Amino acid sequence: MTSARAPALEISALFAGYARFDVVRDIAFRVDEGEAVALLGPNGAGKTTVLRAIMGLVKHRRGTIRVGEADISALSPYRIARGLAAIAPEGRRLFLDQSVEDNLILGAFHLRHDKDRVRALLESVYGLFPVLREYRRRRSSFLSGGEQQMVAIGRMLMSDPEVMLLDEPSDALSPVAVDSVVKALLELRKQGASLLLVEQRVDVAIRLCDRLYIMTNGEIVDEMSPETVRRGGLGIINKYLG
Amino acid sequence: MAGKHGQLSLPGGTASGHFAHLWRARSFAFVIAYLALTFFLARSSLAVQGLALVAAVFGILAISLDLVAGMLGLYSLGQGGFFAIGAYLTTIVAADTQVSVFWLLPVVLVVTGLSGAIIGAMSLRVSGLYFAITTFVFTLVLTVLATDLPITGGLQGLLGPAFPDLPEALAPLGTPVVWCVMLALLVAIGLVWNIRRSPLYPVLLAIRDAEPFAEAAGVRTGLVKVGVFGLSAAMAGSAGWLFSFLGVVSPGQFDWSVSLNILVMVLVGGINTTLGPIVGASFVTMFPAVVNIDPWLQEILYGALSIIAITVFPEGVVGLLKRQFAAVFKAPTAGREATGSSETSRADTASQQPETSREGGPAAEAIVECRGIGFSYGQGPKVLRNVDLVVKRGHIHGLIGPNGSGKSTLANIIAGRLRPQAGTTHVKGVLVDRLAPSERAGLGLRRTFQAAQLVRELPTSRNVLVGLYGRVPGLVRRAAVWTLLPSAARDSASMQFRAEQALREVGAGDWIDSRVGDVPHGIEQLTQLASVGVAAPEIIVLDEPATGLSISEVDHLARLLGQLKARGVTMIIIEHQTRFLFPLCDQVTVLNAGEVVLTGTADEVRANPVVRQIYLGE
Amino acid sequence: MLQLLLSGLAIGSIYGLIGMALAISFYVTRVINFAQGQMMMIAIMIVSALTAAGCSPWLAVVAGLLSACAVAILSYVLAVRPILAFDRFSFGWLVSTLGFAVVVENAAAYVWGPTSRAFPPILNATSVHISTAVLTEQQLLAIATAAVLTAGFEVVRKRTLFGKLGMAIAADPEMASAIGANTTAVAIVAFSISGLFSGVAGVLIGPSTFANPYLGDTFGTYGFIAMMIGGGTEKPAAAMFGGLLLGVMSEGANTLINSQASDWFPFVVLVVILIVSPRGLFSSGSLLRRLRPALLAR
Repeated sequence: MTSARAPALEISALFAGYARFDVVRDIAFRVDEGEAVALLGPNGAGKTTVLRAIMGLVKHRRGTIRVGEADISALSPYRIARGLAAIAPEGRRLFLDQSVEDNLILGAFHLRHDKDRVRALLESVYGLFPVLREYRRRRSSFLSGGEQQMVAIGRMLMSDPEVMLLDEPSDALSPVAVDSVVKALLELRKQGASLLLVEQRVDVAIRLCDRLYIMTNGEIVDEMSPETVRRGGLGIINKYLG
Repeated sequence: MAGKHGQLSLPGGTASGHFAHLWRARSFAFVIAYLALTFFLARSSLAVQGLALVAAVFGILAISLDLVAGMLGLYSLGQGGFFAIGAYLTTIVAADTQVSVFWLLPVVLVVTGLSGAIIGAMSLRVSGLYFAITTFVFTLVLTVLATDLPITGGLQGLLGPAFPDLPEALAPLGTPVVWCVMLALLVAIGLVWNIRRSPLYPVLLAIRDAEPFAEAAGVRTGLVKVGVFGLSAAMAGSAGWLFSFLGVVSPGQFDWSVSLNILVMVLVGGINTTLGPIVGASFVTMFPAVVNIDPWLQEILYGALSIIAITVFPEGVVGLLKRQFAAVFKAPTAGREATGSSETSRADTASQQPETSREGGPAAEAIVECRGIGFSYGQGPKVLRNVDLVVKRGHIHGLIGPNGSGKSTLANIIAGRLRPQAGTTHVKGVLVDRLAPSERAGLGLRRTFQAAQLVRELPTSRNVLVGLYGRVPGLVRRAAVWTLLPSAARDSASMQFRAEQALREVGAGDWIDSRVGDVPHGIEQLTQLASVGVAAPEIIVLDEPATGLSISEVDHLARLLGQLKARGVTMIIIEHQTRFLFPLCDQVTVLNAGEVVLTGTADEVRANPVVRQIYLGE
Repeated sequence: MLQLLLSGLAIGSIYGLIGMALAISFYVTRVINFAQGQMMMIAIMIVSALTAAGCSPWLAVVAGLLSACAVAILSYVLAVRPILAFDRFSFGWLVSTLGFAVVVENAAAYVWGPTSRAFPPILNATSVHISTAVLTEQQLLAIATAAVLTAGFEVVRKRTLFGKLGMAIAADPEMASAIGANTTAVAIVAFSISGLFSGVAGVLIGPSTFANPYLGDTFGTYGFIAMMIGGGTEKPAAAMFGGLLLGVMSEGANTLINSQASDWFPFVVLVVILIVSPRGLFSSGSLLRRLRPALLAR
């Protein structure tokens, strides 16, 4: 029985960049509900720009972006962040002078009038990352890289979005920290979350995702499944990534 | 007005074709028209003269501010202070002594120039908003001194000196002070116009927009900032000297609101344009006279107009005109077909040799040597721990490691941007720990940045020109009179030619006249490479040069680096993309968590199990 | 000595309130609003005009405070927001807020004339003796109000969700919008709070200065110095401490040196402080913080 539900995220003919110059051109792909999709590619390929364009953070964009039933192509970031999409950005960008719990609660800003729901979301985040419960009052600047990444993901979860965007979650993390992040994301997937992941580390991407898109020089050049990559060895990816 | 005077993007005084003659003819016409205007003013009524003179004096002030704010990005609110020093100094000394006012001008220039240099030196400590605030306070303090010190006549002020009369024979020329002021304004315009047309201009913009790039190219940015600031202060001081002839000199005419108004003039007229500041100055000073209504309503109108002007035209009136007419009056792109100047110039002969004489040392000599480097940011964890790196002359030495391993930090230490807490660095046998990046450039060491640092509003060729900074003697010295010197024209042509050639060599020849802001990422990286290569360095440190490049661009880059190696250039390359890096390297050093894991050939590194585990993630 | 201290604190409270007003709008928008002093002036003029027309003083005070807020919001909409839309432009707000200040000041002069008008004394008539010092009740009110408002502001900033959102916007405006903060709405609220603070300062000082359309310049400048001394560009409450320090120093200079000294002494202090600690005494990385590491852990 095929469900006729709209995909969690659908992008077509997306061009985005500066006033005179597009960084990404003619981007088209979709993330179905419950799917996890990866954008792979070298630095500068435009992967981060795609995520920022979805969140409305790129002023010069044209094309169509839909989250579920909603067309977000022309919305401001703060409207998109209210339950449609949420981002755990490159460099994490926590509000460093505030505590862990404050960062999380701010993530649920648009739900602030529904205190019960916020409390429930907070509990689920602490369930996913027990160490954050222990550090809930600690100033976020005092956390390790891995712990900060957990807060960033938690903050993203707190807005209860339809699609979650993660920009290089494994960046600058020790192997142990990467492992715990991947495990948490797998758990999220089990709960039915839809993810769009930007990564440089192919091994992280194939563990998590159903499909991989390869981007270079601002365009999507190929689509692969994790099985293809495993069979062909990392050599296939190296063909594109160098 | 936009096309009449050479404000548009013009290759630095390229002496080719009839276009140069066209521009020279226009400048000549401008000067003639200007002198005619002056003559007319000198014989007009006192009322008209008064208005014009105040506008002209403020024109000079606005130009002086544009010099530091527009070209260097140092927003200063101190022009009022230097203006005050000039005016008060002239008035007091002229009243107390019998010295001719003309002798006071050099005194004023020196005093204000020096105080400007001191204030400018403060800009090295604080920047942006806080620097503006510091200069603002400077003006405040001076105003208060002027109000309270007995010698300055308090709030009433002092009466300025009278301007000496012209000799009998020249009497028909009209009021002498008009000629003096207008000629001073012409000199100010000429000065700025020359700087804009000299190779110093891209250097100044580089200091404004991409200071690390300028430093790495050998520019002593601190010195240039202080020097230009001193020049701007001297100009403001001279405006004060002129102003003292116009009547009373009192504190209210130099206070912080005056400084702010000068900034308004620059911003409304058009920042970083030659005539913009004058347009702005005329608007602000003549407004009350032209709009002759109830004084309060007049002020309200003035305030409203400035709000509208800045919100609707943030680039100012002249900036807007420039943009509108840019297509029509596009300057000749004389560089495209250039085959080079046949005349030799100082620039040419100086640069065929590499930056410093290459001692014929043994081929395996260590050209860069880091021993025991230890580094941490502030009180944080150690980013580098006892790191040794020895790079042999003529080698390509790769530096790899996972994110956070300290590769970029090490590159910055070698280049001089960071100073290690422990260890030493030698370049060509010279201990460089105390040398700034600009001084290391003098040793033949250049570097590129992972995120390209370039001036976006200038064409690629002008950015590459910055790389030639240290190779042309007397650039700064001659900048103020550039278009008047024949040697300068030759140097401009030769520098432009070499810049374009460097761009062609890296394969960016089609983008010579395109603004950096308009070119794709790959071309930006190539422009960076060209700006480094044009100076024929001995050592290049490349920070992730393949970032964001497509497969074909990466292959092209590999070929270019191979060509550089064939010329004997030593390279230290930090990279993630091992597929690109390994075939190029003679030696590879692997860093992990701030320590050196292994140094060896690419094959040795690739095969090493520890390296494979930590870096390639297997 | 005590007199000096208390009088200094009283006038310093005024400077501090205006300094905080500047700092609050800067905190959220990174713009220094040159029209801040004019907001104080408008509050004073409205109170004066309404009481002259027969209104009860307290009603006039409320109207004055509301007018100050209105002017603040207007300054944001007309002079600040359009500039912030051009992301490349760095100092345009200098021109636009200055232009706005000029418009407001001269509009006030046009409507009410340039000469000083009466202002209801409020609590200025009665004095209180504290040990060897004499203060008017108005001065006590100023100190008390400043303390309450500063404490209140800090509590709101740190403990309420809205305050935390403000902190987030100050730290990383783009990320704040990516979690759902409408930065324009928050900016408008911040500007109205700054208008309120300026208005309160006006009502407090009005009895001493009387109502004059040119008050905005002087007090605006002092408020600015207070903010710079304290380091209010990073933390608005620090501007209050800067103001208090400035007030005490001015009074001290007045008493101990000569009556002219309060003209230049504050600037000397400012210059010294800026040289030692360019971002203000209580800013991060400044000397005071390095000597008291415990402060960092807040």
